Amino acid sequence: MGKYGEGESPSDSALVERFLRKDVSAFEELYDRHSRVVYALVVRILQQGSTAEEVVQDVFLHLWRNAGQYQSSRGPFVPWLLTLARNRALDQLRLKSERQRRREDQTEEIPAIAQSPEYEKVLDEKRRAERVRSLMGTLSAPQKKAIEMAYFEGLSHSEIAESLQEPLGTVKSWIRNGLLRLKEGLQTAS
Amino acid sequence: MSEHDQFRELIEAYALGALDANERAALEAHLASGCPECAKALEEARLVVTQLAYLAPPAEPSEMLRARVLRSVRADAASGGSGGGSLPMQAGGAQRTSVPMWLWAGVAALLLVSLYSTWEARKMQQDVAEMNQHAAAGLKERKQLEDELTMAKHEAMILTDPASHKIEIMPSDKDMPKVEAMWHSKLGIYLTAQKMPMPKNNKVLQLWLIPKTPGAKPMPSHVFWPDANGKIGEMVANPPDDMGDTKALAITEEPPGGSPQPTSTPLWVGGVS
Repeated sequence: MGKYGEGESPSDSALVERFLRKDVSAFEELYDRHSRVVYALVVRILQQGSTAEEVVQDVFLHLWRNAGQYQSSRGPFVPWLLTLARNRALDQLRLKSERQRRREDQTEEIPAIAQSPEYEKVLDEKRRAERVRSLMGTLSAPQKKAIEMAYFEGLSHSEIAESLQEPLGTVKSWIRNGLLRLKEGLQTAS
Repeated sequence: MSEHDQFRELIEAYALGALDANERAALEAHLASGCPECAKALEEARLVVTQLAYLAPPAEPSEMLRARVLRSVRADAASGGSGGGSLPMQAGGAQRTSVPMWLWAGVAALLLVSLYSTWEARKMQQDVAEMNQHAAAGLKERKQLEDELTMAKHEAMILTDPASHKIEIMPSDKDMPKVEAMWHSKLGIYLTAQKMPMPKNNKVLQLWLIPKTPGAKPMPSHVFWPDANGKIGEMVANPPDDMGDTKALAITEEPPGGSPQPTSTPLWVGGVS
């Protein structure tokens, strides 16, 4: 959807800087670039299209009004945006299910995320999805399930252990080893 | 295993938000003590965790959503809104300008003279910003109420319009409640039910449109689940224009996110025409 061919499109950080100066076209470009992955993530968490659209709208308006909170020196833009979207969607999910649980980050400030390694820089959205799905496919089914429950449903170790009827220690190992394997796979793939 | 190693083992789960309260508090205290190794590991773990977003099945946001977002942003920009908020300090981003000393002295003198009026102006700016914030919150609340009202009108129109077609979706288990669908070819399908059990094992309910064409696959539709009181009140937008192409509506239990094709036997089925 972007207006630029590969190799000539401005970076996300450059677009953010432009719309900090009220350049709506820069915001539009950024929206077209990332709204699909944000929407897909929010729909996956909320399982409901209409509420998901409200949350996505909220995320992008928050981005427009508070883009100053994003600092390129503290990490790449897309993980920052996805963290914001995930936090908002999980808030909405907890509101709906009346499950008031803590969240790692209770404020709007998104924590620092590592500077992009090579694997983060070169892939487009489709190839990123294929790579992550392929790496997750190498994990055992319950290990993958536990990680997805934590990420998409915002559940803690003990909530996952209870839901899957598995020992707490097993769930902890699944999640840690799974994420380490994912990290290793991402680094190897780059 | 040293205390540090124990904390190091919690980093990935912390980045994922999966730690229970006691472990989370202990790790946060360790991080606050300034452990550089754990801080670096946490940043890396956060980047890995964000990659999990790409596991979500692809989904396309509507053009209507895009139009709504851009309309709000343009209105914000036109009204001199925040336009992105304050610009953060970027590494290497600040440009220094060379200013002669005599000008600095002049500026300092001017600052002293205008200190009071500056304070006044700043206070006024703060008041205006506060008022803007209140106004923005009010507008947001109003927009939410308007959206809810529009949705409620939409639902009421489907339920009352004679053009709507009522479909009873009957359960395979006689102890389960039936689901009612009101299908309006232009406005959508509105599903209602009472006393619906919550699907087990984190599954969700998914609506399917069974085509009349022999051998054609069921068309995946809305994913939903009952509220805490077992109520269903779901709007399914954009149904096929011609209801005559659909033989039946069916509901199955599916994994979170729904499925492209049914993975279980329908628990509810209702003939359309």
